[in-house]
Amino acid sequence: MDMLKISHVGKRFGDKEVLRDLDFTVPKHTIYGFVGQNGAGKTTTMKLVLGLLSADHGEIFVDGEKVSFTNNRTNRFIGYLPDVPEFYSYMNPTEYLHFCGAITGMEANDCKMRTEEMLRLVGLDGEKHRIKGFSRGMKQRLGIAQALLSRPRLLICDEPTSALDPVGRKEILDILVSAREETTVLFSTHILSDVERICERFAFLHQGKILRQGSMEDLKKSCGETGFELELEQKEKLEKLMEHFPGGTRQGRRGVIYAQGKGQSMEAVLAWLLREQIKFTKIEKSGLTLESLFLEVVGK
Amino acid sequence: MSTFIAFWKKEWMELLRSGKFIIVLLIFALFGIMNPAIAKLTPWLMETMADSLQDTGLQVTTVTVDATTSWTQFYKNMPMALIVVVLLFGSMFTQEYQRGTLVLVLTKGYPRRNVYLVKTWMALFIWTICFWLSFVITWFYNSYYWDNGNTSNILPAAALFWLFGIWVLLLLVFFSTVFSETSGVLAGTGAIVLLSYVVTIFPNVQDFLPVKLLGAQGLLLESQVIGDYGQAVFVTVVVSAAAAIAGMLLFEKKRI
Repeated sequence: MDMLKISHVGKRFGDKEVLRDLDFTVPKHTIYGFVGQNGAGKTTTMKLVLGLLSADHGEIFVDGEKVSFTNNRTNRFIGYLPDVPEFYSYMNPTEYLHFCGAITGMEANDCKMRTEEMLRLVGLDGEKHRIKGFSRGMKQRLGIAQALLSRPRLLICDEPTSALDPVGRKEILDILVSAREETTVLFSTHILSDVERICERFAFLHQGKILRQGSMEDLKKSCGETGFELELEQKEKLEKLMEHFPGGTRQGRRGVIYAQGKGQSMEAVLAWLLREQIKFTKIEKSGLTLESLFLEVVGK
Repeated sequence: MSTFIAFWKKEWMELLRSGKFIIVLLIFALFGIMNPAIAKLTPWLMETMADSLQDTGLQVTTVTVDATTSWTQFYKNMPMALIVVVLLFGSMFTQEYQRGTLVLVLTKGYPRRNVYLVKTWMALFIWTICFWLSFVITWFYNSYYWDNGNTSNILPAAALFWLFGIWVLLLLVFFSTVFSETSGVLAGTGAIVLLSYVVTIFPNVQDFLPVKLLGAQGLLLESQVIGDYGQAVFVTVVVSAAAAIAGMLLFEKKRI
């Protein structure tokens, strides 16, 4: 069963076609990476799901219920974290979450317990200061807490890590992973390593159109054997290595890359280096190819 | 109903913590005290200025003041107090549009109608309590120093001005659903009030205009009777209701 179904959706702003026949589904209890460059149409898609914009054509369903523009009833199933979440700055986090619980009709005791639970989850428990003085990372974490407060079936996060430092990014990604047990996550981003880190499925959006979608597992399988790169301690030994194992591309003064399909195996090279007692500083398989795949499908 | 109260509490918290409520309450209380104070001080002021006025050829005779003088002052000060309320509430919607704070509220499935009704109700409520606070303070001092019994139609005259304030605030709410910037809201409201003034140059429509309610002090001197305001009251109520309903419909479809 799908938690979100977007069926042949199109949207124009004036003469600019922002979304073109968008069509994809998000299965329940998955973390879905919605990848695209800035301006690809990610935020517009999310706003359509939330009923903040109306689609020119096509339909959207959340847990089987149709989405409508304004006063969207399916929003009661959704938790939303905008790219820059804005709160009532004169409240503290507890007051804000109590307010969120109250306007969604949560029972008072449940709201109180859930508030404490969520603030613990995002590491803001015991924070009594008003939101006014919060950093971007703290606001993002509070944003996740408010989005998860009423136990949504679908959590929509619009570029939650884009403006954060590496520590803040890791914290947000860890929270999203821990949220998977109780919800489905649709997560837009242009940071491909974040998608590789936590997503099970992904879709590439480019100029308002889905160019490729699937599971990360399928992606890895389709990529097959990957190449590898290594870096020696002494540059003089590099010539010898490249003579022995032709087909490599020099990188910098001491490094060489063997792309996939060049007939050299990393294990054979490693064994030879040990035998010859040539010291190296780095040897690793080439990184995941989501980035190269993305660049390939968007034609860069 | 509980979700309605939750948003109402949030609005209260905002008014209290931003200091807006205290500001507006103090201003109205101050105006309430100033009306009788100015009336009371007028004879003394005239006396101290008598010599200098005499030099310019003006002869100051004995000035007598009573409750009516103080009530007349009340109607001179209230438009300024109303302007303060308009300036404070002119951003009640636009601030939320610009900061994006309503996005999280609405994407939780909270009805737009509730947001609109609570905010509208809040503006009218604050105007009402502040206006009548000022009225009660003036009334209290007037009866202490003079006798309110010598002034006619005190309550109906005040009710007419209060109604004028309701009309202005509902226009403000209406324009808050049309424009996304405070300047647009204030300009729209100001333009309608100004237009209403300009139209008074046509004698046959004067009696139908909401701005006629601003002259309600005429009732105090018995130069007018309450019935003279019937048509203006009717038009004001109809226009206010229409603005409130139109605002609600526009807010339902507003892009936020």
